[in-house]
Amino acid sequence: MKRIIYKWSGIWATIWMLLPSMVQASGDKATNIVVVADTRRVTGVMHYFANLYNTDIVMFAVWTVVLTAAMGCTLGFLMDFIMSRTGLDLKSRKIVEH
Amino acid sequence: MRKTNLASCLMVIGIAVCLIAGAAVAAEVSQGKCIQFDQASNQITIEAYDLQFSSQFPYGQPSGENEVFDVSGAAIGIHPEPGDILRLAWVNKGSVKSALKVMNVSKQDLRKK
Amino acid sequence: MDASWLYMYMPIAGVDIFWPGLVLIGFSVGVIGGFFGMGGAWMVTPGLNILGFPMAFAIGTDIAHIAGKSMISTIRHSKFGNVDYKLGFVMIIGTMLGIECGAQMIMWLERIGQVGPVVRWVYVGFLLLIAIMVFADYAKAVSKKKLGVVDGEKGTEGFTWYKTLHKINIPPMVHFKISGIYCSAWLPMMVSFITGVLAGFLGIGGGLLRMPALIYFIGTPTHIAVGTDLFEVMISGLYGAFTYTLKGRIELVAVFVMLTGAAIGAQIGTVATKYAKGYGIRLAFGSAVLCCMISIILKQFKFETPAAVLILSTIGIICIYIMAIMFKGAAQELREKKNREQATVKV
Repeated sequence: MKRIIYKWSGIWATIWMLLPSMVQASGDKATNIVVVADTRRVTGVMHYFANLYNTDIVMFAVWTVVLTAAMGCTLGFLMDFIMSRTGLDLKSRKIVEH
Repeated sequence: MRKTNLASCLMVIGIAVCLIAGAAVAAEVSQGKCIQFDQASNQITIEAYDLQFSSQFPYGQPSGENEVFDVSGAAIGIHPEPGDILRLAWVNKGSVKSALKVMNVSKQDLRKK
Repeated sequence: MDASWLYMYMPIAGVDIFWPGLVLIGFSVGVIGGFFGMGGAWMVTPGLNILGFPMAFAIGTDIAHIAGKSMISTIRHSKFGNVDYKLGFVMIIGTMLGIECGAQMIMWLERIGQVGPVVRWVYVGFLLLIAIMVFADYAKAVSKKKLGVVDGEKGTEGFTWYKTLHKINIPPMVHFKISGIYCSAWLPMMVSFITGVLAGFLGIGGGLLRMPALIYFIGTPTHIAVGTDLFEVMISGLYGAFTYTLKGRIELVAVFVMLTGAAIGAQIGTVATKYAKGYGIRLAFGSAVLCCMISIILKQFKFETPAAVLILSTIGIICIYIMAIMFKGAAQELREKKNREQATVKV
C-alpha cells in the first residue's frame, strides 16, 4: 500500500513540475510575440535599459529584480526614518502593510 | 546588523551586475515598411521611416531609403509580410546588418490591449 | 493647448502614458493598501491597462512593484519572528510553479490575441467577489453591533477544516515547528500553487487568498500566517518580476514611479488606521472596488476616457478621504502632545 502511495506521489510530483512547460507547449500553435524597445526615442539611463532589453534580456531581468528589491528596501528605510522624525507615536499602530 | 548586512549584500550584487552588464552590446533600432521578406536567404528589406511621428504618420514618415537586414539569427514575431510596419533591433557584423529581434508593429497593435 | 508634456513615452511597451495617472495609481495603492491592510494591487493591473498599457505589461509591472513593496514589510515581520520559514520555503515550490503557470497562460492568451478581454473579465469576477466579501463583512459587523455582541479576538475556532485536511497522509509528512502543525507537505504546496497561479495570472500578491487558506486550511496561527504570507508575497513578487521580465513584459520606468508613490502612500495609509473609527470606511472601500470593476467593463467596451476618469477619480477621492483622516488625527495628536508638554513645564 505504502509503495503505491509513494509511486503515485512520485508520478504526481513529476506531472506537477512539468505543468508550466505543458501550459507553454499547448499554446505554441499561435505565433510568438516579439517586442523591440524603440531606443531611438529615449536617451540616458532609459536608453541604456531599453538597449539592454533588446540585446540581453536575461541581464535585464537580473537588473530589474535587483533594482526593484534595492529600491523597495531603500524607500522603506527612508520612510521609516522620516516618519520617526514627525513625532507621532507609531508604536501602537498595527502592522498591516502589504 | 541585519540592515547593514542586507545593504552590503545588495551593493555587491549591484556592482557585479554593473560590471557584467557593461559588456552589453549596443544595438541600433530601425523601423519601417517591409518591402520584402526573403525566407530562402533570410533577408528582410524595409523602407526606413524617420522619427517625425504625427497622427497622420503614427509610425514616422518614409525617408525613401531602403535597408537590408540579415535575420538568420533573429527572433521573429508575427510573420512579416510586405506592407507591414516592422521594428528591428540590429548590430553591425562586418558589412552586414544582423538583426536580433524583429517586431511586427502594425499587426501587433491589434492584439495589444 | 498642447498637453503632450503630460504624456511620457514608455520605450518597451511603446505607448505614451498619462504620467500623473501613473503617479496617482502608485500613491493610492500605497495609501489604500496601507489603510485596509490588503494589497491594493487589484487596482493596479486594471488601472495600468486603462491608462494604456497592454495587458501583459500591466500584469508584469504590477507584480514587480509588489515585490519592491513587500521587501520592507517582510524585513519588519521577520524581526518579530512572525515568519515560519520552513513553511515558507515549502510553499515557495508551489508559489513559483503556480506563477510560472499563470504567466505562461497569459503569454498563451497574448499569442492568440485574447489576453485583454479574458483578463478583464476574470478581474470583473474577482473584484465582484471582493466587493461582496467587504459588504457582507460590513453587514455582519452592523448586525452584531445592533445585538450588542462584542467582537472578540479573531480566532480560527469557528472553522476547523484544517483538522480534516491534516489527516491526509501522503508522504512526505512534515512538522512545522513555529506554526505547530504536522501535515503532508502537499497541503501547503497545493495551497501555494493555486494562489501562485492566481498571482501570476492577475498580477496580484495573492495574500487575499493565501491568508485565509493558511489559517483555515493549514491551521497556521493568525500572526504567523500574516508574516509567512508576506514572505510568500515577496518571493512571488520577485519571481514574478523575473519571469515577466524574461518574457519581456515589464516597464521598468513605471515600476519605479509606482514604487516611489506607494512607499510614501503606505506610510500615510498605515498611520491613518490609528485614527480611523467605525465601519463606514469599509463601505467606501467596497464602493471603490465596485467603481474599479465598472471602469474595467467600460474599458472592455472601448469607452477609454470614461473608464480612465472613473477609476482615477474613485481612487483619488478615497485617497483624499484617508489622507484627511490621517492629517486631522496627526494634527490632533501633536497638539495634545504639545499641550501635555506645556502643562508639565508649568508644573
